[in-house]
Amino acid sequence: MGLLAAGIGAGIVAIGAGIGIGMIGKAATESIARQPEASGDIRGAMILTAAFIEGVALFGAIICIILALQG
Amino acid sequence: MIQTFRRLFLTILFLSAGTPNLFAADDAETESESPIDIMGTVADHDYFKVPQFINGGKIYLPRIIYWADEEGNAQLSTFSSTKKAIDSGFFEDVDHALVPTNGVIKVDLSITSHLIYFWFGLGAVALFTMFAGGRYKKGVGKDVEPKGALQNLFEVFFIFIRDDVARPNIDDKKADKYVPYLFTIFMALAFMNTFGLLPWAATATADITVTAVLALFTFVITQFSGTKDHWAHVFWFPGVPLGVKFLMIPVELIGLLTKPFALAIRLFANMMSGKIMIIAILGLIFIFNDMYGTAAAYGVSVFSVSMTAVLYILKLFVSLLQAYIFTLLSAVFIGMAAESHDHDEEHYHAEHAA
Repeated sequence: MGLLAAGIGAGIVAIGAGIGIGMIGKAATESIARQPEASGDIRGAMILTAAFIEGVALFGAIICIILALQG
Repeated sequence: MIQTFRRLFLTILFLSAGTPNLFAADDAETESESPIDIMGTVADHDYFKVPQFINGGKIYLPRIIYWADEEGNAQLSTFSSTKKAIDSGFFEDVDHALVPTNGVIKVDLSITSHLIYFWFGLGAVALFTMFAGGRYKKGVGKDVEPKGALQNLFEVFFIFIRDDVARPNIDDKKADKYVPYLFTIFMALAFMNTFGLLPWAATATADITVTAVLALFTFVITQFSGTKDHWAHVFWFPGVPLGVKFLMIPVELIGLLTKPFALAIRLFANMMSGKIMIIAILGLIFIFNDMYGTAAAYGVSVFSVSMTAVLYILKLFVSLLQAYIFTLLSAVFIGMAAESHDHDEEHYHAEHAA
């Protein structure tokens, strides 16, 4: 059961993080296309936001690893 | 000259690829039925891994243990290796952990492989900065242009941290005060992360204790550089009704703690997952060898090795990116705490007066 939960959880974590980072990427590329001269600032903000999303996703991943190791 | 180095480096890489990196036979003797031991390879060890022809591939590290026996007499014991500790009769081996035969361990101060690589990382930063500092003291780089690849590299990194990380995120007047810390932590992480890619080496940052200590540094510095406004935001949130102010106190306190926690987990999980991925993909060869015979193992090794090569390049990028993200977020957190909200307050009062 623990293994099953870990597998499903890891999948959901990947979906969530994928959607989030995808939206950041979309917004960032769009704004760079609109305003190429601000690409440096946009890239910095993009990495920062992506890092926050990644952090949340990794919390989930860690819990999945703990579940898998126990199960 | 550079061509020669490149060729030498490639030769060493190929040679080291020839020696088994997984020590599959060593670790498989444990009760696990799998031919490879993934967690055993990423875990911390009481030995320092070296090429197979030196001392059988392992240099044992000293154990320093502060423990108390049954009567409660606390004492500090040092042994040159785990084996010596067991031979002394005071300790025994239970599931690969050293425990006293009678008594309890209070603090285990043993030197481990991750600690050694942590020191290597910090030592590399110290040497690098001392070298560059000596150059600048002599006037090279100040009066004339910086000389040599190493000093130019130092200047690239330093200017990057100062102009792209510290100054945009921290108040202009205070930013330069934090540049030494940010630069140190960036270089140390970059060294530690990339050391993990070398053959036989261990990634110190793939250990939650290492990343937690580094995140603790950021946490302490953040709190000590907190302004009046920072603490006002924590304990008396401005601009909300009285009841909500009390509601915000626990939320803000948890917020203070999750920041360094997320820093530590992010770095740890990134470095750990990269390592596990490489071992798992290489381990496919061993698993196929066990399940379908040698021919299948040869077949899958073509896929595994090329995949690992690509993953290594990705890991090199991720190593530097994670060092950058850790530094950037440290700067952002310090900047948020060190910021004074003069403009916001004026704006807020102006709005209310109108």
